[in-house]
Amino acid sequence: MTTDQGSQHAQTSDASSSIYDLGYRRYEGARLGRRQAVLALYRESLRAAFGLGRSTSAKIGPAILILFALVPALIQLAIAALVPVGEIELTSHHDYYGGVKFILALYVGIVAPDIVGRDQRNRSLTLYFTRAITRYDYALAKLAAMTTAVLVITLLPQLLLFIGNALAVDDFGGHAAENWDLIFPIFGTALFGSWLLASIGTFIGAQTSQRAFATVGILVAFLLPLTVALVVVQEIDGGWTDLFVFISPLDLVDGVTYWMFRVDTQPMDSIVAMTDYALSWYAVAGAAFGLVCTGLLLRRYRKVQA
Amino acid sequence: MPVFQTDALSKIYPSVRALDELSVSIEPGIVGLVGANGAGKSTLIKLLLGLIQPTEGDASVLGYDIRTQGLELRQYVGYMPEHDCLPPEVNATEFVAHMAQISGLPAAAARERASEALRHAGLFEARYRQIAGYSTGMKQRAKLAQALVHDPKLVFLDEPTNGLDPAGRDDMLDLIRRTGHEMGITIVMATHLLGEIERTCDQLIVIDAGKLLHQGSVADFTAATEVLEIELTGDPEALAARLVAAGLEATTEGRSVYLRSDGDAPFDLVRDSVVELGLGLVRIQQRRRTLEDLFRIETPLAETALTSGVEA
Repeated sequence: MTTDQGSQHAQTSDASSSIYDLGYRRYEGARLGRRQAVLALYRESLRAAFGLGRSTSAKIGPAILILFALVPALIQLAIAALVPVGEIELTSHHDYYGGVKFILALYVGIVAPDIVGRDQRNRSLTLYFTRAITRYDYALAKLAAMTTAVLVITLLPQLLLFIGNALAVDDFGGHAAENWDLIFPIFGTALFGSWLLASIGTFIGAQTSQRAFATVGILVAFLLPLTVALVVVQEIDGGWTDLFVFISPLDLVDGVTYWMFRVDTQPMDSIVAMTDYALSWYAVAGAAFGLVCTGLLLRRYRKVQA
Repeated sequence: MPVFQTDALSKIYPSVRALDELSVSIEPGIVGLVGANGAGKSTLIKLLLGLIQPTEGDASVLGYDIRTQGLELRQYVGYMPEHDCLPPEVNATEFVAHMAQISGLPAAAARERASEALRHAGLFEARYRQIAGYSTGMKQRAKLAQALVHDPKLVFLDEPTNGLDPAGRDDMLDLIRRTGHEMGITIVMATHLLGEIERTCDQLIVIDAGKLLHQGSVADFTAATEVLEIELTGDPEALAARLVAAGLEATTEGRSVYLRSDGDAPFDLVRDSVVELGLGLVRIQQRRRTLEDLFRIETPLAETALTSGVEA
């Protein structure tokens, strides 16, 4: 009966309808399933984070912060270009993240709510969960997108620094060859730090659809432990209170950076220098921190109402 | 082959049996899923999309097991939610194409399909405009387009005419009819408006409090003249009580008694009873059954909840 009706209906509409009705075309092409879906979600989230394909005002925030994060590296490059004699090393790789920690926090606070909060705000989570992905796929694609977004202000300036330092010694090839062993810690710290910051940012950002709350929450999560750890470690002498250094994700990134670059003597104003834990502890604590946040992010998306 | 079938499908939450041993089998076509708010419509749809696991029972959709093959089956199923779900800051083509990719289509095909789906939904001219500037009717169309973009074999529409004015509602129902009949896509349309079902659907599932109340063809249901309307002067309750006492199913509404009569109508009994009670008989009329009768006679309880939403 249905088919009778269908063909009848189709005939009448063919006859009466008009120039523009091309008829419905079926899709016979490839269906790539989950992998394609997750990659598309990753790509689109990343684009949205930088405001690509969106209005100009959406591009301004991230662009300014990226610029700020790049400033020390750009200065290095400029100096290398202008003063091409001798070895001028302004900023070293292992001090870089310490110098831009507030920019890192601000950047995550602005970009993460965009990556994870947008779909909750628009209530479009349902549309994702009813397609070829699982809730965990969704969460991990978002975390990957956020990690990549953070890499832009971690890995990119580190690489610029490397090039700048190499240019500064006037023997680019020689310097690069001499310091090739820096490449591993450059990538290692950038990846590890970006993942750690992204997992915290996405976990907190996913708790609310309100952008402002998410941003404030993320800033508090980074800056409050930073301050508390500094005060406690600085003011209370020795003992177990030094453990407070491990509550601060930004200090963990610092510690891991010293560890990966094998820097034994840290600058005196670094909180890492004020405590005497083995640097590998920072890696363990950082990994635990990141894993817990990643787990909590997955848990959040398992439960969130679509 | 049925598009989907469920076998004693149950979903039990700690406080409520959202779905209670539901067994249905659905052939291709346009299916109306009727029930009051909280009757279990959304739970059924979520189960059939493989989004939640059933507590008991089984179901297969397009031949896929909902317990284990949710990902595969969702590649061939579309869903249009009741609530707003569109990002305002992108244009419709970009959004719908993105949704096609999330369904697993390659990027180039996704763009092509997005144009196709938006054209079908009547948004071709507006396809490059930002969704923020869309009217409610256009947003509903865009929601439908995203549900159709990956050329699914089965689409669930949750209250597709929500928030539309009468003209917009007619357009949407017409669009749904064309989608079902011309494109050969099976549509399951959840609604609490029985009038929409009568105009649009050819099959019907009625659920109430998680239980299956009725399943069948809409044509069979409305074609049969199974209700006798007896309009009276005087108290219809007395007549109804007498008819019920005689083993018939009767209810009253206004000054009329509605009598369910399968097969031969008991005209003599009605006439004699009216005379004995001293009532005045205005008319006796055999009526086409409408979907409202389903609730009026079979479940007086559902009536209050549902007829309030019935279209005039």
